[in-house]
Amino acid sequence: MTRAAWRAAANLTGLAVAAVVVFPIYWMVLSALKPSGEIQAADPLPWTGHPTLDHFRSALGVSGFARYFANSAIVASVVVVASALIAFLAAVALTRFQFRFRTVLLVMFLVAQMVPVEALTIPLFFLIRDLGRVAPMAGLNTLGSLMLVHLAFSLPFAIWMLRGFVAAVPESVLEAARIDGASQSGVLWRILFPLAAPGIAATSVFSFITSWNDFVFAKTFIIGTEHQTLPAALLVFFKPDENDWGGIMAASTLMTLPVLVFFVLVQRRLVAGLGGAVKD
Amino acid sequence: MNIARWAAIAVTAALTAGCAPSTADPTTSADAKTGTLTVWLYDEADRSPKEKVLADAVHEFTGQHKDVKVEISYIPTDPGPRAEKMKGAFNDPASAPDLAEFGNTDLAGYVAAGAMADLTSAIGSWDAAKDLPQDVKDAATVNGKMYGLPWWVGVRALYYRTDVFTELGITPPTSYAQLVDAARKVRKAKPKMLGIAVGGKYVFGALPFIWDAGGDLATESGGKYKAAIASDASKAGVKNYAALFAGDICPPEQCADLTGGKTVDAFAAGLAGMAILPNSSRGKVDAGATKGKYGVVPLPGAKPGSIAPAFAGGNDLGVLKSAKHRTLAIAFAELLASKKYQLAMYDAMGNLPTLSGARGAVVTKDKFLAPFVNTMSAGTRFVPNTPAWTTIDAQTVVPTMLQKVVAHKATVDAATAEAETAMNAAFGG
Amino acid sequence: MVSTAPPAAVDAVRGRRSTAPPRRRRGGRWTPLWLLLPAAAVMLPLFAYPLYQLGLLSVLDFGQEQVSGGVPTRYVGLDNYRTLLASPKFWDVLVQTVVFAAGCVGATLLVGGLLAVLMTRVWAAVRVVLSFSALAAWAAPAMTGSTVWMFLFDTNLGLVNHALGLGPHNWTYGKLSAFALVGAVVVWHSFPFVMITLYAGMQSVPGEVLEAATLDGASALTAFRRVTLPLLRPLVTIVVIQSVIWDFKVFTQVYVMTGGGGIAGQNLVLNVYAYEQAFAASDYSLGAAIGVVMSLVLLVLTVVYVRALHRRDGRL
Repeated sequence: MTRAAWRAAANLTGLAVAAVVVFPIYWMVLSALKPSGEIQAADPLPWTGHPTLDHFRSALGVSGFARYFANSAIVASVVVVASALIAFLAAVALTRFQFRFRTVLLVMFLVAQMVPVEALTIPLFFLIRDLGRVAPMAGLNTLGSLMLVHLAFSLPFAIWMLRGFVAAVPESVLEAARIDGASQSGVLWRILFPLAAPGIAATSVFSFITSWNDFVFAKTFIIGTEHQTLPAALLVFFKPDENDWGGIMAASTLMTLPVLVFFVLVQRRLVAGLGGAVKD
Repeated sequence: MNIARWAAIAVTAALTAGCAPSTADPTTSADAKTGTLTVWLYDEADRSPKEKVLADAVHEFTGQHKDVKVEISYIPTDPGPRAEKMKGAFNDPASAPDLAEFGNTDLAGYVAAGAMADLTSAIGSWDAAKDLPQDVKDAATVNGKMYGLPWWVGVRALYYRTDVFTELGITPPTSYAQLVDAARKVRKAKPKMLGIAVGGKYVFGALPFIWDAGGDLATESGGKYKAAIASDASKAGVKNYAALFAGDICPPEQCADLTGGKTVDAFAAGLAGMAILPNSSRGKVDAGATKGKYGVVPLPGAKPGSIAPAFAGGNDLGVLKSAKHRTLAIAFAELLASKKYQLAMYDAMGNLPTLSGARGAVVTKDKFLAPFVNTMSAGTRFVPNTPAWTTIDAQTVVPTMLQKVVAHKATVDAATAEAETAMNAAFGG
Repeated sequence: MVSTAPPAAVDAVRGRRSTAPPRRRRGGRWTPLWLLLPAAAVMLPLFAYPLYQLGLLSVLDFGQEQVSGGVPTRYVGLDNYRTLLASPKFWDVLVQTVVFAAGCVGATLLVGGLLAVLMTRVWAAVRVVLSFSALAAWAAPAMTGSTVWMFLFDTNLGLVNHALGLGPHNWTYGKLSAFALVGAVVVWHSFPFVMITLYAGMQSVPGEVLEAATLDGASALTAFRRVTLPLLRPLVTIVVIQSVIWDFKVFTQVYVMTGGGGIAGQNLVLNVYAYEQAFAASDYSLGAAIGVVMSLVLLVLTVVYVRALHRRDGRL
């Protein structure tokens, strides 16, 4: 086969793979827009002539998905901001200073990612319950409890990934600022932070996912329904009677959209960060 | 001071603080007379009729009690999620409801978890209580104290499709052999239909077969339970139930994972020739394609003309020990269990009333109930009345056993032996 | 799209450290401590302490009677571990967890690696399309990925049964087919990370090195094996470790798609098993013991892998 033929075959394969990979997402959005009759039909069509927002309306209205969406958004925003700040500081300490146990700490952050979250749910459940007695804002059944645990479980990866970005800022820039008389905290917040900001944004995607996608903590800590978040609330749609696939797909679409937007916004930086996590 | 010392301090602090998670405070119930009364009720295959009755009851209740709001949540009824939900409430009194509906099989375990308030004196002074039959009261009693207000009872019988049976010239079965035969005929003539909808997770559908064969889950002597599920009689019953999971009746591919609720769905949607359903499924069936095309007979036993013993199901209303509105919770429970609302629940859901007066009224009025009443008179049975049953139920011992057998993942001998071991471990024997 | 190699990835691949030589800054030697303090304030109570309690719970008798029934907790030593090791079910679950995770890791790396190579061979436009579709799969939360695939493979209304003309085929009935379905979702979620990371790494292999190799008469394949692959090794390491960590801990997909472990628990993995022992069967201490075992398995796997690499290359 000629070089051109190879290349054409490669291109075709690439497009075919892309179509297969994106198909479930397409099917999700399509089914969310299909009228119920078409979903139940014996002959599913790969398009619809009668798009409807009924499933979105019923998800947001009847099933109270708007509230769960808001709960998820509040928790995720707090986690993203807090995690970015804390991880930035820790990453500075780990990259721009040499101290004893630095390597030990690094390894610990890697090992921390191996701990099975679901198993830790057991002691955390009791810890959060007891915490609720002294700090009702963070006890069981509160968004506060989710913020705390999501923060704790997003930090190891955030710190690990952010190191690369912080390290990439040339020391000479910071030195110049110091010569100009900037204070230590001035260098930290006015020079280093803005320069690492794109990386912080990329890192935030993963903190966001940790919080937004969390199913097991929400399911375990939130016993009532009022403070439930999206993933656990999605199980509401799996009713004892016939699954309401239109509603499930509409709710899934609503849940996927923010992550997708976030990913597209920071996609350029994602790889840089993941690559940066390799060093040491 | 350096990092190492800080780390040492942190570790020491963690270790000294490191005792086991505290056990819950001995909870005392509060008795606020205003505020929001929280109520957990079982979700239903079709929840709206229940919601309607509840809305009326709440309206009446808030009319009598000013400054009181009633918040009703519906909780899942599958054993696993239900157990998780209720346990969450026991572990965290702050998120627990004041009043909850629960199946009478769960009561002993909840009482052992220290979660339920003793209602003996409250029910004793309730006017309607004298109208409660003794056997119903017994099922809500643990160690001589009543912890539940019996709300409704239910037994299961055999629903069948009158149109399909007429078309194929079959009569409603009066023996196990006829049941199998009728199921085969239906599936043969209507390949899209299950001959009879049975489920691998449908314990209350399977128990009558075990009891009819002379077997049982466990035997009791002197207050100690011992598993009997691996006895020859029990195994024969399991085999009879499992024989229904066959390609020409209810293919294991479709039926091994069904719960009781899913068999209701299948029958209501017109996808099954027969199903073993409680009287309370009537509303759901009437809402589906099967409306007006079904009849009910008692589930037959192996001996021609006999009735297989049914499970004496029923739900109670109970006040949690951690309730913050004890008096209000009892008052609302008594309202829901009053003759008026028992009748309303019967009309909405087909739930059989617990009060003799109310039950008499519906039985004479509605001949639909005859097969259920006949089943009850033939004698009903119950699961082991011990806290250990809640553990066995939560560990899904019996559904796992049934699924292994019907999906051919283990022999009857192996599956029942495994279940027997697990049960005896829970019984502490 | 991700077409230019980002600096950090380049550095990583070239094995150059872009970190300025770490040295003690003026402003006091306590600075790193203060900078790490917020992280410590979160991680110690919410990560380290629960981890310690997990170990503690696993040597206690701690069930529902203890939690809310006022029964005192009791130290039982290694009884919970003995119960586990004597339980055939535990061994079944352990083995199928390892096999399932290994299958997922293998498939993820294979798919991700092949597609990364493919990306270097296609037009820029195709590359953008491929990257964006991968990004969409990557971004889909585990929960929604599970629901969509469940719908696609639904017994009665699923597109797949319809397209293949299978009738009401139940994909979660058979143990293997259920695991395969869940595995497909896991791979769909995780291959984009591998693909995009490895592609960026390949992009950053200096062109002149490859050219030199080709001039020396090496075929494209040989050049890839001899030049590109060794340079990619650090990236491959991290990708493997991350995949192992993620796939071994799959919870949502299994829990949701098989309804908590499948028919008679045939599709249980350790994570789901631990959770159900604790929160459904309320044997919190047995659940904790399973969690401890699982953490240890994961730790050992990773250490063995890293050491093997270290021995081969003399560096990480």
